[in-house]
Amino acid sequence: MLAEYGKEARILAGGTDLLPLMRDRALTPKYIIEITRVPGLDYIDVSNGQSGIKIGALVTLGSVELSEIIKNRFPLIPEAAHLMATRQVRNMATIAGNICRASPSADMVPPLLVLQAEIKIANNRGTRVVPCGEFFTGPGTTILNGSEMVTEIRIPELPLGCGTSFLRATRTQSDLAQVNAASVVMIKDGICEEVRIALGGVAPTAIRLRKAEEALKGKRIEGEALENAAELAAGEIRPISDVRATAEYRMELSKVLVKHVLETSVGRAERRQR
Amino acid sequence: MKREINLVVNKRTYPLTVELNRTLLEVLRDTLDLTGTKFGCGAGKCGACTVLIDGKPMLSCLMLAVSAEGKAITTIEGLSDGDKLHPLQEAFVEHGSIQCGYCIPGMIMNASAFLAENPEPTEEEVRKAISGNLCRCTGYVKPVEAIMAVAEQMRKKS
Repeated sequence: MLAEYGKEARILAGGTDLLPLMRDRALTPKYIIEITRVPGLDYIDVSNGQSGIKIGALVTLGSVELSEIIKNRFPLIPEAAHLMATRQVRNMATIAGNICRASPSADMVPPLLVLQAEIKIANNRGTRVVPCGEFFTGPGTTILNGSEMVTEIRIPELPLGCGTSFLRATRTQSDLAQVNAASVVMIKDGICEEVRIALGGVAPTAIRLRKAEEALKGKRIEGEALENAAELAAGEIRPISDVRATAEYRMELSKVLVKHVLETSVGRAERRQR
Repeated sequence: MKREINLVVNKRTYPLTVELNRTLLEVLRDTLDLTGTKFGCGAGKCGACTVLIDGKPMLSCLMLAVSAEGKAITTIEGLSDGDKLHPLQEAFVEHGSIQCGYCIPGMIMNASAFLAENPEPTEEEVRKAISGNLCRCTGYVKPVEAIMAVAEQMRKKS
């Protein structure tokens, strides 16, 4: 159907983004393709054993909040989902919808980036799988052409003893984040073996903080190393001023959130290892 | 463009012909005369339009009416049993939790589902749970008290 109606159609799942946009006449699609009754898109697939998880496009934020399996193996996802919007919205909104809307402050994106998730895309000729980091092309834009849709999000298994954390700064609960941050750390004997940090709301798309990550590897994530990482993070982002926050405030928030998610991740990694 | 659908609201089936672009909120209020559910913002932020869909609180202003076919829809009118108020409704009245009343149906629908999921909440959990129901009058103090009181009541009964 997407191939046929292509650019004049929009996909409807939760509708928590599409309907407000239509109401404001920001979007006036000629056709709406509602996928909520398409079988085989609402699943959390753990059949790969300890080798990762596959989340279908219709899985809601509410479902991942409550999923015991996801809470045990990928706590970062329900942690982020729980902080998003409101209960009512979470019962309707999908993870896939959050990433397809590709807001620079989308709350699911930093977690998926640091988890090195992959996005499965389908069109009428077949499917392809794309690393999350390559999915976003700019504010509100993705690599999807008009006749494709996301069908699945794949998350590879996290090594044992990882710690993760997500934080968002916002004016009110229903509002978009001003800045959000996610991190994964792997600690061995107190030393950082591997670290991934992502920030949203501070660049055209959410981004990994490669320089900050490099600087932390092989070190203890604390004190001067932590301060230094926050400063490096500030150098990697390009926040803008908008109705939610000034660029300066976003810069400060970024440094604080980077430090906090790292500290929390390290604490959780250490607790998991006991 | 219209479509014929059946909507099941408060356990009653309504055969309807609706325009494809009408929201569930519009149909509930304007076609079915179930005006307990309110239009607050129409943008999914205030929660005044909260109804239960298969027992889960959702925003009827963000649902197309045609999407609600095949679901069990519960509105505030469906919470009371004839003239017998639901414990949450009674508690809100007793505790003086209602001022203008506009946010209340949505808040009670949300709270009813929340207590079914979490019968022994902390006050913090209640506040977080109703964060999707904005109130300009009460400052949330009495509504939260009422919800905690009902939780306490439910705990005593069991």
